Amino acid sequence: MAAQVLLFAGFIGLWGLAARFEIGRPIVVRSPAAVWNALRDLVASGQLWPHTWSTLQATLIALALAAVIGVATGLGLALSPTLERIVTPYLSALNAAPRIAFGPVFIIIFGIGLSSKVALAFSVVIFVVILNARAGVHAADPDVVRLMEVMGASRRAVFTKLLFPVAIPSIFAGLRLGLIYSLLGVVTSEMIAAREGLGQLVAQYSGNFQLDYVYAVIAVLIVIGTLLNAIAGVVERRLLWWKAP
Amino acid sequence: MTVVKSNRRQAGLGHPSDDQAATPPAPGGGTDGGGVAFSLEGVSVSFPGSSANHPALDDVSLRCRDGEFLVLVGRSGSGKTTILNVLSGLLEPDAGEVSILGGRPRAARPRMGFMFARDALMPWRTARRNVELGLEILGRSGGERREAATSMLERVGLGHAVNRLPWQLSQGMRQRVALARTWVRQPKLLLMDEPFSALDAQTRRESQQVFLETWAGTSASVVLVTHDLTEALLLADRLVLLSAGRILREVEIPFERPRDLDQLVVSQEFRDLERELWELLR
Repeated sequence: MAAQVLLFAGFIGLWGLAARFEIGRPIVVRSPAAVWNALRDLVASGQLWPHTWSTLQATLIALALAAVIGVATGLGLALSPTLERIVTPYLSALNAAPRIAFGPVFIIIFGIGLSSKVALAFSVVIFVVILNARAGVHAADPDVVRLMEVMGASRRAVFTKLLFPVAIPSIFAGLRLGLIYSLLGVVTSEMIAAREGLGQLVAQYSGNFQLDYVYAVIAVLIVIGTLLNAIAGVVERRLLWWKAP
Repeated sequence: MTVVKSNRRQAGLGHPSDDQAATPPAPGGGTDGGGVAFSLEGVSVSFPGSSANHPALDDVSLRCRDGEFLVLVGRSGSGKTTILNVLSGLLEPDAGEVSILGGRPRAARPRMGFMFARDALMPWRTARRNVELGLEILGRSGGERREAATSMLERVGLGHAVNRLPWQLSQGMRQRVALARTWVRQPKLLLMDEPFSALDAQTRRESQQVFLETWAGTSASVVLVTHDLTEALLLADRLVLLSAGRILREVEIPFERPRDLDQLVVSQEFRDLERELWELLR
């Protein structure tokens, strides 16, 4: 922990030195103090919270939708080999597509607002969740599946007692990754076009060359991402209490 | 634990037909198969892509008496595991008749148990909850399951570990949990696919002894598949030697029960029979 604090202090120190001795273009390299002041200004002006809430709201809605639909789809595919064989090539092609490029399309379809942000983030997250849920089921030990069949377990019992529990770690890994991807999708959508959101603030301040404000917003995004990841970590540890440390 | 099983058969090397002619009535009884735990009559199995001249099982006929410990021995590809898969209903034969506990394999599943080389424990369940699994599938109530699972874990010497997770158990302890999970359902026929092969030598011998002692209190028939001739001789009432999908020879094992495996393995009688069988397998 002490080493981590030291590393952070060292980074801020180097950054401060770079700004003081004007290493790099002054318009780009703003001092930590300038960024801190920008952050205080954003808080004091009351701008930060509505934009933060807007980004957070879209991120969580997109993640929740992707979790419900993605987990159900991934499990369904894993349980139906025929369907999986038919769908997999399309799934791979869509997953390989640069979904961020669909941002303007979603804005045209859904308009500037929450829906288009959620749509872009959902399109980024959904494949991660589907693939992880599917992989989780495929990770089931064939010996245990065989054992349950020989014991006379119904398909429903095999699913509820084995396949779903065995897929949970992989599903959770997908959701943790999806959380960050969702934030990325929402911020990207906001940077393309939005009425509010931290991505919109970044775009707005970048346009005015106020990079101290841009860095302040990015710092807020980093804190949000880290906090969400830490919360997910706590939930994961509680849910997967049985895993070896 | 009191070991009550006794050897009920005469020693001697014999051909497949000898055994079928000499099938005695079931001493333990309790199955619907008229003293026969299972019978295979003219069973053949081929896998897609395998040559018609080399089926996985080729016209195999085999019977297992109630309460008998039958061991299938043979090289890889000889058809041992295929027989287990046919018996468990995981594989339909291309030809022949299969009768398990007086009925079809799938119908007999509630009265069958299965053990693998790997313990196949669920990592998110404690030892007790793993043992309860088979009873859950049978639809037993929670209280009954807990009581039966705890009692069975105590019988296999794991009374102190009922609430431990699989990663907190040694390999030998894990295999004993698997054993308890199998026995708690009180199977009439137990199918075992090299259940001790993943264990080190000392743990293997301990597990074999625990298994024999647990089995002794039941009327179950056991079919065990192994590559290990020593293990086969230590455990079996009868050995079935398989080669290329056919029964090469059946051998009645003369050793009395209860057996002290550590003493038996160093006896002259054991060594002589082992040598004799090695010659046969060459």
